[in-house]
Amino acid sequence: MENQNSPKPFMNPYLAGFLLGLVLLASFVIVGRGLGASGAARDAMVATVINVAPEYAEKSIYYEPYVAAGESPIRSWLVFLALGVIIGGFISGASSNRLGFKMERGPRISGPTRAFLAVAGGLLFGLGAQFGRGCTSGAALSGMAVLSTGGILTMMTIFGTGYLIAYFFRKLWI
Amino acid sequence: MAPFIPEGIVNPDLNLFYALVLGIGFGYVLEQAGFSSSRKLAGVFYGYDFVVLRVFFTAGITAMVGLLFLSFMGWIDMSLVYVNPLYVWSAILGGAIMGFGFIIGGYCPGTSIVAATVGKIDAMLFLLGSVIGIFIFAHFYNSWEPLFMGYFEGNPFIYETLGMSRAWFAFILVMVAVTAFAITQKIEDNVNKTPPHVIEQRPSYVFPGMLLIVSIFAFLFLPEQRKSNARELPPDRLHAMLVENNHFVDAEETIYKIMHEDRNFILIDVRDPEEYEKFALPGAINITKDEILGRRYRDFFRNAPVNSKRVFYGFGESAAELAWTIATRAGYDNVFVMKGGLNGLFDELFNGNDKPDDPLDLDEEFRVRFLTKARQLFLEGDALPKEPPAPVPIRTIIELETPGGRGGC
Repeated sequence: MENQNSPKPFMNPYLAGFLLGLVLLASFVIVGRGLGASGAARDAMVATVINVAPEYAEKSIYYEPYVAAGESPIRSWLVFLALGVIIGGFISGASSNRLGFKMERGPRISGPTRAFLAVAGGLLFGLGAQFGRGCTSGAALSGMAVLSTGGILTMMTIFGTGYLIAYFFRKLWI
Repeated sequence: MAPFIPEGIVNPDLNLFYALVLGIGFGYVLEQAGFSSSRKLAGVFYGYDFVVLRVFFTAGITAMVGLLFLSFMGWIDMSLVYVNPLYVWSAILGGAIMGFGFIIGGYCPGTSIVAATVGKIDAMLFLLGSVIGIFIFAHFYNSWEPLFMGYFEGNPFIYETLGMSRAWFAFILVMVAVTAFAITQKIEDNVNKTPPHVIEQRPSYVFPGMLLIVSIFAFLFLPEQRKSNARELPPDRLHAMLVENNHFVDAEETIYKIMHEDRNFILIDVRDPEEYEKFALPGAINITKDEILGRRYRDFFRNAPVNSKRVFYGFGESAAELAWTIATRAGYDNVFVMKGGLNGLFDELFNGNDKPDDPLDLDEEFRVRFLTKARQLFLEGDALPKEPPAPVPIRTIIELETPGGRGGC
């Protein structure tokens, strides 16, 4: 059998998908909304800005609704969801021996290049998720489950753009 | 009836607790599926690993079929479920930017949280980048607000947009997914040059695949049980209410309520919007008979305060009476019809006597004085609307949407 400390194999993707679908369904049934991830980053960012630079926040119409609400957006539904994701991800990683600091990169790029690209990619994703009103989980996945035109349109443009430009960025990954 | 929290079945105070529990499930499955690896994630674009497509599509279809089943059974009220709004160009631009982010960064926000949790440094950097990206959006929000808030098309469902039935769209989507699973497996094997004995050892997906197709096919022939059935008023009860004939509000009461701006007395103009814009009673909102049962006004009717009145009016009585019948049959309480309609109201106001017929009848005396005063107010325009009434609030049970309609991933 396999070594005690080697990472366990990943779950069958269809089974994982089915389980993820059940979690998503439970979210709709209990709370009436789907899952999401980028919203937590937004709420954390907004809370930080309001606390660190209140004068800046007061002048901006973007932060206005948050400032007016009075309650810190850090106590939002999406932030708690993200906390859960951290706990669940950690449990899974620990139980499957996948914990450990590591920089993942394609075979043809260096560590610093990957670091720069990870920040750049995150920046674009964070920006895009605002226009798209959600990322792959909130807009694409949850949007597909309720069959919303908005979510499916965003999903198609995410993956459509990805496939259109994949060739030009192939050196990053293969 | 689901969803539990918006329906008030589960205490809303537990909302955050459920968020945490659902998040744990979400994070656990994502990590187990291998979404904590950027190389695995990026594989979907290069053909060496289609795990993203498999997990993503299976999850989406599972939840979709589940929702379809629950709503066919009448067990979930889809009008209380968050449906992503459609701001066409913002959605397209956002998707395109995210496509670049995915290829360059190798993660999406959800998977980067999971990956960072198990120690992936590139994922932590991706998250840092995400926060910077969101800050940039916020900082320059003024410049892109027209695009961000523009081209709004409501919260349509894809099958409405495409003009097909929900069951047919679901069936087609499932067929597309199953086909994609089969084709991408072939592509993946070709790209990775998978040896034949490995392919032979794989479990067969023929049975679960067929099961899925057959069950989704069955939905095509199931009659849809509408949610409104649950609260629908039985026809005999409706008939009894029609015979009782208590659902009228007379012109005097209407005038009185208008003059006193009673918030519990809401006038609903059932005429066409063009006529409504030309002239409407002060404070009236415009809901035509076709819109009454729409999701937009559901909460407005359902959450009417106990002693409030929602009063339909048209030029005469018949259109308002029809609207009243529709609303009552749907189980909406506290709806009324304005007696005589607009014509009756103005007849009463302007063609009434200036002097009471019987000077000794005090009631009649007061009635005439009241009408005279009301006439002056109407003529001076004090009571006529200067600005359009405030929009009807939607979803008042709990706040499902984040402030400013910035929908949430």
